[in-house]
Amino acid sequence: MSECEKTNYIGKSVPRIDALEKATGKVKYFEDYQIQYRDLLHVKVLRSPHAHAKIVSVDVSAAEALPGVATVVKGSDPDLPWSDIPYGSSYYGNPAKDEVIWAGQAVVAVAAESIEIAEQALELVKVVYEELPYVTDQHIAIRPDAPEVISPELGFAAGYMGFQPEGPNVAGSYKMTHGDVDKAFAEADVIVEGEYQANKKSTSQIECNGCIAEYQPDGVVKLISNGMGVHGVLKKHLLTMYPQLTASTLRVIQPVTGGSFGNRLFPTIEPLAVLMTLRTKRPCSYVLTRKEMYTSSPSNWPVFTKLKLGAKKDGTIIAEDFYLVEDAGAQIRGYYDGRLSASGLMCVYNIPNVRCDSYGVRTNTMPCAPYRGLGVPESEWAMENLLDELAEKLNMDPLELRLKNIIKKGECNPYGEKVTSIAIGKCLEAVAEGIKINEPCQQDDGPWKYGKGIAAGGKQNTPLGRSEADCLIHSDGSVEILVSCDEQGMGAQSALRQMAATELQIDIDRVKMTRSDTAVTPYDNFGASSRTTYTTGNAVIIACQDAIDQLKEAAGREVGLAKKQITIKNGKAYVVGSDVEVIDIKDLFKPFDFFTQQTWGLLQGTPVRGRGVFCPAPAVPWFGPGHEDGRTPRMWNWYQYSAFGAEVAVNVETGQIKLLKLFSTADTGNPINPKLVEGQIDGGVIMALGFSTLDYHMFEDGKMINANMSDYRLPTVLETPLQKNFMRAILPDPLPDGPFNAKGCAESMMIPIGPAIAAAVYQAVGVRPKEMPMTAERILKLIKDKEANDAK
Amino acid sequence: MKFNSYYEPNTVDACVQILSEQGSDAKLLAGGTDLVIRMRSRVIKPKTVVSLNAVPELSEVTLKEDGLYIGAMARLMDVSKSELLTGAWKIIKTGAGNVSSMQIRNNATLGGNTCNASPSADTVPGLVVSGAIANIVGKNGNRSVLLEEFFTGPGKTVLSDDEILVSFKIPKYADKTGAVYKKYSIRGDTDIAIIGVAGKITLNDQGEVADVKIALGGVAPTVIRVPKAEALLTGKKLTAELIEEAAVIASESCTPITDARATKEYRTEMVRVWVRHVLTDAVQEAQKN
Ligand SMILES: Cc1cc2nc3c(=O)[nH]c(=O)nc-3n(C[C@H](O)[C@H](O)[C@H](O)COP(=O)(O)OP(=O)(O)OC[C@H]3O[C@@H](n4cnc5c(N)ncnc54)[C@H](O)[C@@H]3O)c2cc1C
Repeated sequence: MSECEKTNYIGKSVPRIDALEKATGKVKYFEDYQIQYRDLLHVKVLRSPHAHAKIVSVDVSAAEALPGVATVVKGSDPDLPWSDIPYGSSYYGNPAKDEVIWAGQAVVAVAAESIEIAEQALELVKVVYEELPYVTDQHIAIRPDAPEVISPELGFAAGYMGFQPEGPNVAGSYKMTHGDVDKAFAEADVIVEGEYQANKKSTSQIECNGCIAEYQPDGVVKLISNGMGVHGVLKKHLLTMYPQLTASTLRVIQPVTGGSFGNRLFPTIEPLAVLMTLRTKRPCSYVLTRKEMYTSSPSNWPVFTKLKLGAKKDGTIIAEDFYLVEDAGAQIRGYYDGRLSASGLMCVYNIPNVRCDSYGVRTNTMPCAPYRGLGVPESEWAMENLLDELAEKLNMDPLELRLKNIIKKGECNPYGEKVTSIAIGKCLEAVAEGIKINEPCQQDDGPWKYGKGIAAGGKQNTPLGRSEADCLIHSDGSVEILVSCDEQGMGAQSALRQMAATELQIDIDRVKMTRSDTAVTPYDNFGASSRTTYTTGNAVIIACQDAIDQLKEAAGREVGLAKKQITIKNGKAYVVGSDVEVIDIKDLFKPFDFFTQQTWGLLQGTPVRGRGVFCPAPAVPWFGPGHEDGRTPRMWNWYQYSAFGAEVAVNVETGQIKLLKLFSTADTGNPINPKLVEGQIDGGVIMALGFSTLDYHMFEDGKMINANMSDYRLPTVLETPLQKNFMRAILPDPLPDGPFNAKGCAESMMIPIGPAIAAAVYQAVGVRPKEMPMTAERILKLIKDKEANDAK
Repeated sequence: MKFNSYYEPNTVDACVQILSEQGSDAKLLAGGTDLVIRMRSRVIKPKTVVSLNAVPELSEVTLKEDGLYIGAMARLMDVSKSELLTGAWKIIKTGAGNVSSMQIRNNATLGGNTCNASPSADTVPGLVVSGAIANIVGKNGNRSVLLEEFFTGPGKTVLSDDEILVSFKIPKYADKTGAVYKKYSIRGDTDIAIIGVAGKITLNDQGEVADVKIALGGVAPTVIRVPKAEALLTGKKLTAELIEEAAVIASESCTPITDARATKEYRTEMVRVWVRHVLTDAVQEAQKN
């Protein structure tokens, strides 16, 4: 093996850096820090029992008087930053002032010496509400005559970027046209149409959201939080909320965390803990209960899609027309206009005539945030289901129909963007082969019927700004990479370390990662839209190159060669071409000398610091003059793809679905660490199996009635197929501008699972599910309806 | 979760003594899998907790002349593995084994499952069709109540504040008796039952139904019997049609609610499906025994 190959860690399943510590319970989660504080206060919050009500009065005097209560916060307190805050997102963690707009919204918060005292204090609070009309159903909320989600006099007008909505709850709209849609439908041989719904769901990470805010004697507030984006979310938002804090007096640290999946992209708990620590000058710990995780931390946005496709006899799809509505919940600020979910309907297939008519609407339910997949598992549910129907009408193999219509590399998608990396064809062929789609299932006389199905999915990467990285070359020759990327369990830092070791051509054991402390590590935005591998990864490579450059310069000086004559590998400097070693990197760092005082050159004990900054190229605006059709040559960044094959059993007596065998494939670009990618695939598959067949928010009287893990049914190991029937493959198309040609990979595998299962259900029992999750009750109803219909 | 005092007496009498002093301020602790959760979520706030865990005889399972005695504190794990539960008594093993996960079963007790009086308690339908009798001790002495008459509503029983359920007596069963319990839930035993169905059938020498009991869980305020369906089947040779007819009667005789686990329509339909399966399997069992 050549030297260079030895230090090429790309595509190798190097064990995660944190594997051993996690498996042995040594890593510290934020709650482990609680024991550091002897004077810790505990925060508990009283929440609205109503979906929509005016707050007539709040009396906290008895709570304040309870011994052990340190401070009580209510919405009308003057130091509470409830007024308009820029940067379209939700800050509803803080107590409401005039109105509550969903059941679960904070109304009063108490910090006390113990959780019990805080809970007792909340029972002493008297709130008088005047109930107002509410709407939890997005189909009602979008009507012009719908009840208002928030009273208009509070000044949160509907509309977005100049859009004038029809109804009181319409948040925004995104419209796009490509080609001549009406003409294309007129020319189509076959037209299919359908209405699809994906329900409200929670990410349900096992570690509940929590943080500790500490007021230090020098006025610095130190926040230890399992939230996302130490710089890009938490610090940025908290500084806009509390003018008494400055860039140098707020320090945010992210310890090891137990997951986010997008749920932590908005800081819904930290502002309250920080406010209470500012008031009391004591450390405050605020942890949501499991119930609050469901009622008071963000959900996804449910999506309704009405889709119509037109095709020629040979299976060429020539027209697509869709109306789509995102339900943003009680999200009164933000960018919900349908475009995120709509992106899923325009990224897999090359359809020459497309009309997109999409909206965002508000309801009196838990405000939404991104949920793994940014709304496209919800919208592609429509596309993939309808394609299956189209294939049937065309009497065509669903695989062939898809392969015929997928976007080819180098072609433009309906937005007008050129697609530079796409391997969905390979992915689809592999899953069809993997579950032997052409071999029919064996049936028997029992209540279980068997079927198979496949589906595809694509997900855009939203260009979400800057990542920075520092590469330190220490004087012992070891390397330290400083980054502020989120580590929500995906293994990002392990992959970044592989990139750094490869770029520096150094043994990976000599590379250490230091992460996510705003006082130490450089800026990064947040881990969303599968961007970390790509954006932070590119920043790490640039930082390594910068460090190499500085080492070359120093080595050249030392031995009298020009920079360009030096190459660095294995911790040593060599002459380019000849491979003659000129100096060990360690020897470039000189010991302190009393007579020269070492005012220049590399000094032992202080590292060379390479800096890297990477930002994806900005999107080109799609509105304004010249963009009336909503199209643009750069709407998003790159695309990840996935295909899924499922073999299921459906019980005709109960409607239950069992997933017996699955094959999942993902085009992740060049995988940096295949084992980590497989972990993403498997985790994603199980999560999506949940929201496809089991888990969703149920409402009664405006309230969520299944806000616990007993009734919010996540899949357990019993619901997943046996190991030998749980298959996966990585089938990459390298991304030209990705770090070592990698893309991100956390979302695409979520998309095709529901539709593939739906196709298998159709094969098994002849019904086509339209609503996700496909719960036993819903499937049984479809079966009964079909029986009744067939009997006619 | 806060309370003022905690007792762990060694005898049933001492427990009764504390209960009679404390009245409704006290709560009994068995395995705690229902009680602790309700205390932590502040649904109930007892001032005193009296543990039954230090009274060893409450966990005993003994076979006597007149039947099988199961102590109220017998852990569900032990019940689910008990070798004394043979033949038609196996239904009690099944019910105990259907309660949630191993972790829960290791703590939870048969008495707790009963006294918690949830309409969907998994052990109760099997106990009811087995004709179980609840033996109770209180400050005014002992009494025995047919388990079927033990429940007065969801979370409510005939026990007064000073009374303890000490054991269950399961009467002996006749030859050619088969008893089957089926729990229907979405995620197997880790879920609370949507419905539960227990059926016990005794056949005569002609292969006709000499006796039949059907109990349904999760479809009414308490576990219920279905006398109309039982009457239909008694004295007859069971056929698929007859079983289906009984299943329809059962589904029509319950009054389920809609909650986060299922709608009332779905529960009703599931009663029909699972009564059919239970009766079909119970007849087969009866023929074997
Ligand atoms: C995660 C989870 C899953 C569960 N799944 C199921 C399930 O699938 N099926 C099911 O049926 N149940 C289930 N349960 C409920 C519970 O585990 C059972 O009801 C269990 O049998 C209760 O027994 P215990 O000994 O823990 O009762 P405890 O919680 O100790 O007591 C329950 C109640 O009964 C009273 N009590 C207890 N013993 C006596 C006595 N001897 N005399 C008088 N009063 C008494 C207590 O005061 C209390 O009010 C589940 C619970 C949890 C936490």
